[in-house]
Amino acid sequence: MKRFFVLVLALGFLFAGCAKRAITVQPEQPVAAKEEVQKATTSEAPKAKEEKKIEVKKVEPAPVTKEEAKKVETISVKEAVETKESQAKFENIHFDFDKYDIRDDAKPVLKVVSDWLIKNRKNKMLLEGHCDEVGTNEYNLALGERRAKSARDYLVTLGVAKDRFEMISYGEEKPLCKEQTNECWQKNRRVQFVIK
Amino acid sequence: MSIEARSQSPRATRSPRRIRPSADRGEKSEVRSIRLKFFLVIFSLFTIHFSLFTFADAKVYIDITSPEKTRFPIAIQEFNGAEGKDITDIIRNDLDITGFFMCIDKNSYIESPAQAFDSKNWRIIGAEAVIKGTVSVDQNLSVRVSLYDVFDGVEILRKEYKGQRSSIRQIAHAAANDIYRHITGEDGIFRTKAAFIAEDEDKKGLYIMDWDGAEIKRLGIRGDFVLQPHWSKDGTKIVYSSERSRQWGIYLLDFTKMTERKIFSSNGLNMAGNFFPNGDEIVFSSSKDETYGIYSLKIAESKITRITSGRGIDVSPSVSPDGKQIVLVSDRGGSPQIYIMSSKGYDVRRLTFEGFYNTSPSWSPDGKRIIFVGRNAGKNQIFIIAPDGSGRTMLTDTGNNEDPSFSPNGGFIIFSSDRDGIKGIYIMRANGESQKKITPAWLKASNPKWSPN
Repeated sequence: MKRFFVLVLALGFLFAGCAKRAITVQPEQPVAAKEEVQKATTSEAPKAKEEKKIEVKKVEPAPVTKEEAKKVETISVKEAVETKESQAKFENIHFDFDKYDIRDDAKPVLKVVSDWLIKNRKNKMLLEGHCDEVGTNEYNLALGERRAKSARDYLVTLGVAKDRFEMISYGEEKPLCKEQTNECWQKNRRVQFVIK
Repeated sequence: MSIEARSQSPRATRSPRRIRPSADRGEKSEVRSIRLKFFLVIFSLFTIHFSLFTFADAKVYIDITSPEKTRFPIAIQEFNGAEGKDITDIIRNDLDITGFFMCIDKNSYIESPAQAFDSKNWRIIGAEAVIKGTVSVDQNLSVRVSLYDVFDGVEILRKEYKGQRSSIRQIAHAAANDIYRHITGEDGIFRTKAAFIAEDEDKKGLYIMDWDGAEIKRLGIRGDFVLQPHWSKDGTKIVYSSERSRQWGIYLLDFTKMTERKIFSSNGLNMAGNFFPNGDEIVFSSSKDETYGIYSLKIAESKITRITSGRGIDVSPSVSPDGKQIVLVSDRGGSPQIYIMSSKGYDVRRLTFEGFYNTSPSWSPDGKRIIFVGRNAGKNQIFIIAPDGSGRTMLTDTGNNEDPSFSPNGGFIIFSSDRDGIKGIYIMRANGESQKKITPAWLKASNPKWSPN
């Protein structure tokens, strides 16, 4: 595509105003009032955006009965599970913070993966490296890539040909879990096995 | 970007039909799509500047390099005329956000805007400089600005700015630049921009905004993941990394042509670094040969040259402003640390020794300082250090603070922070003072890079 489009977001910029000096003779009511008006109007922007989103959601389920709505939802959930099953046929393997060496608890999973690949010779595999959000994002991308490579190298030692793997790092961009807890971060420091 | 012309260019006269005058600041937020090529218009300022008068014996009123924390008291009298208040507000905000000025409350002013400048009226209320101006509007906007030195009782600057009504912000920023230069002796940053990454409906995109957070615009770039824009030295291009079809490639957006093209991609991870001073060469990191390496890429010739290789991670390379050195992040010592080497890859030495996680280095425009992200008490903070390893200082202490880069005059730093709960973009003085969020509360934004002009 040669032509690109830009979305222009004409945004109100909130003027915080200057530091006021103590010399003030009268309280600055008119200005304060205006500032409030500005604040009120600028805060409309996100609201309008949110309202729009909510409206769309409201419109969709309206003609559908509750049961139908449930069906629709169930189907989409099923699909998600199915794709997940084919992707997550194997458990994720996990890593320590800022590390990309294969932990002992990952080795049984890698054995299962290699056995499967040795049986299913036609399949290729994508190894996705991921990180928690604790680090900085460029370094995390590199770390995720190293994690995928560690997994690949280990699988090669188990007898799978190197050219059956592809690797991609998503760094901290695709977290499984979005809370800011150690447990959550551990879940995110992972390699996922995707059968192609 | 600075267009100071005696006459308007032909494009300037055409442009009002092409660019929609933006809604008044604060009115409402609109999302509109315009052809990206017209985006060029935004990058040019169609104003004429007439320097009517400049005081010959320039003196510096504030030494911005001094650690002193007193603010320079300045009075900004509301300009008369239709757009007078808006222009005065923009100038006042520009000066205020730098942290060097204290704008004196206008209710204490004795002199009315219509009266001629009399230093006695300002000395009483403690002003050391006074800005007065007039605005006249016909088809175009004409702004006349005067700056007075209260102590000496003289006018030190008188300048007239003309431009289309739609370029009101640029005109006000240009005036603020001149005022700033006359008081500090340094170039102002008020017409600079920032490129950054933001999330819109869960998709990451590349955005541009004015340095003060106004005029936020999303560029129509494909790809779910976009990272780390870097400006060319002349400000007409940016390079960035984007993941498309399971490959991380390096892309170049040329604002003069409004085109994007892939300049490098391969298996593995490819991440763009900044430009060499020659303007047509960038540094980047790649794991294309499975081992990490730092490379240079001559864009026009598509020629890559390997600079380093290693078994571990070598990423985030940044070329020094003189082009002679590269600062990078490497885990060769067991944890991510910052290293400096020659631009040919020789004389590698470690720069950071404190902490177990130091990343995201970036040079100051004079090459005398490096800012980076270090981990402190479980959070990411921004640090500054000299290239010889001395003077390591932490500049932030609330929340996680990442992605620092300097303003073109070296006086300020733009960065991202989650201190408000959601990641947004902030600016601060290079000594860590006057930290201020510039992106709106609802926008999840990161990876800012200050434009060079």
